[in-house]
Amino acid sequence: MSAVDLPFEPPSGVRGALIDVWTMARRDLIRTMRQPEYLSFSVVMGVFFLVLFELVFGGVIAAGAGVDYDQYLVPGVLVITAVTGALQTGNTLAVDLQYGADKRFRSLPMSRMAVLAGRTVADTIRNAVAVGLVAAVGYAFGFRFTSAGSAVAALALTVGIGYAFSWINAAIAAKVRSAELVGMLSMFWLFPLMFGSNLFTPTVAMPAWVKAFADNQPISVVATAVRALANGSDPGLSVVGSGAWIVGLLVVFVPLSVRLYRRA
Amino acid sequence: MNQPVIVVEGLRKVYGDVVAVAGLDFEVEAGTILGLLGPNGAGKTTTIEILTTLRRADAGRATIAGFDVGRQPELVRRVIGLAGQAAAVDDRLTARENLDLFARLYKLPAPERRARVDELIERFDLGGFADRLVATYSGGQRRRLDVVAALIARPPAIFLDEPTTGLDPRSRLELWREIRAMADEGAAVVLTTQYLEEADRLADDIVIIDRGEVVARGAADELKKDLGRDVLVVHVSDPADLPRAAELAGDGADVATDAGHRMLTVQLGDGPPEALAVLRRLSDAGIPVEDFQLRRPTLDDVFLTHTEVRR
Ligand SMILES: Nc1ncnc2c1ncn2[C@@H]1O[C@H](COP(=O)(O)OP(=O)(O)OP(=O)(O)O)[C@@H](O)[C@H]1O
Ligand SMILES: [Mg+2]
Repeated sequence: MSAVDLPFEPPSGVRGALIDVWTMARRDLIRTMRQPEYLSFSVVMGVFFLVLFELVFGGVIAAGAGVDYDQYLVPGVLVITAVTGALQTGNTLAVDLQYGADKRFRSLPMSRMAVLAGRTVADTIRNAVAVGLVAAVGYAFGFRFTSAGSAVAALALTVGIGYAFSWINAAIAAKVRSAELVGMLSMFWLFPLMFGSNLFTPTVAMPAWVKAFADNQPISVVATAVRALANGSDPGLSVVGSGAWIVGLLVVFVPLSVRLYRRA
Repeated sequence: MNQPVIVVEGLRKVYGDVVAVAGLDFEVEAGTILGLLGPNGAGKTTTIEILTTLRRADAGRATIAGFDVGRQPELVRRVIGLAGQAAAVDDRLTARENLDLFARLYKLPAPERRARVDELIERFDLGGFADRLVATYSGGQRRRLDVVAALIARPPAIFLDEPTTGLDPRSRLELWREIRAMADEGAAVVLTTQYLEEADRLADDIVIIDRGEVVARGAADELKKDLGRDVLVVHVSDPADLPRAAELAGDGADVATDAGHRMLTVQLGDGPPEALAVLRRLSDAGIPVEDFQLRRPTLDDVFLTHTEVRR
């Protein structure tokens, strides 16, 4: 039998894929609206770190280094909000892959990549809202951006690193396919990045090899850039470095996730 | 004569040293239902997954609406609808949102999309719960949504993997009606099941597989004849009536009595009508009947018969 006449010619190629990405992201956002605790988790986490470190380190550091600790801490907390928010990608994706939903998606005339990309896009939109809310709380503590332009640039870098981290989580979820395991693994890779960093305290007092890591790993580089943008000081290489980390992580983890996802 | 929509030739899939599908052939025409019947591990899901492009066959060929499942998976996905063995609807969306999601992924144009979602909700009677979160559904409601979702783009080929497992008898009957309606609208349907009765009631053609191999196949009626005959079991009140009851029931060869259990067993040539006739004769003769039962040949009988033949 020759091929049937297909009922209509759907958009294909990049346009079709973009429609799929948005469709999948939209589905996720509908669920977020319905269960706002997904959003509140990373906001609460950010505010928690903000308050905790203000209380613990605020006086010490301000006195010792002559830094305004709000201006130091809030950028770090914004970055934490974004990278912990990105954990959601791994979690929800693993749940989809574990159960029947994924089989149906694979049988549909849709872009393979959209299953992953829709997720990361939705999580990034959610992340942008969370980062904005935490920044507002930072304002209440006395944190300030010097200009609207620098605020936009700083928030864009923050949300950007969150997006790149969403893809790291997507790759892990595509590999292990278990929400519990994805959560547990994050302890091993995300926690060292969060605490082996300049997020909470300057790295000067760290042993040389820890300092080398802490100064150059992506979370610190972005936090440094956000601080410089907030203060209107010279960012050095940190803004360019942030962009390079974001692009570099995406270049590695987007194709890797897609390959791992296709394999199973 | 219709052209077959689904054509399967020599399909084979091996996992390590397990032969999951060992050379399967069948064709399904538009408007007909093929029942793929087999016990756990027979290879039903593997077959469905190959035909819906989720897995690749190791050998053989299959085409859906003329498209090759191995070589043209993107095109095949446009002409199939799948309801897999595990439920694949989103708990945190409503039925309407789930259907809309799939309609969007099939790229139905917007006005048609809305109309189609409404139509399916109406036709399959999902209205009572269509705007509630799926998380609140009963197992039967969720399964129905799952099956209906496979129809969203009016695909010419529909694959249902054990659609009625876990449903109560009423939900099962409803779903049977709905599956029949899909075929009546012109779809070629492949349905897997572990229940002979389900294949019997629904399928135009039946392929019985066991450990990847076809053990029997044919139209439902032919196959049933082949399966052996229905058995009528009658318990009489008084064992003294048994000889007379046996005489009334039919010619000696097909009747057995068991005085200890006050039981009469009749192999029926002609199923229910003959059972009725036998019971009527007993009743006319004034023999008190305590209990009776019509036993249909079960899937087990089929397997036993056919595995015996193979050895
Ligand atoms: N991914 C896999 N790896 C190894 N073996 C597999 C895999 N998937 C299925 N099998 C094996 O292939 C055989 C057929 O499995 P399949 O799932 O197709 O059976 P089924 O007829 O759908 O059974 P059920 O009624 O239990 O759903 C089984 O022996 C199963 O263990
Ligand atoms: Mg199965």
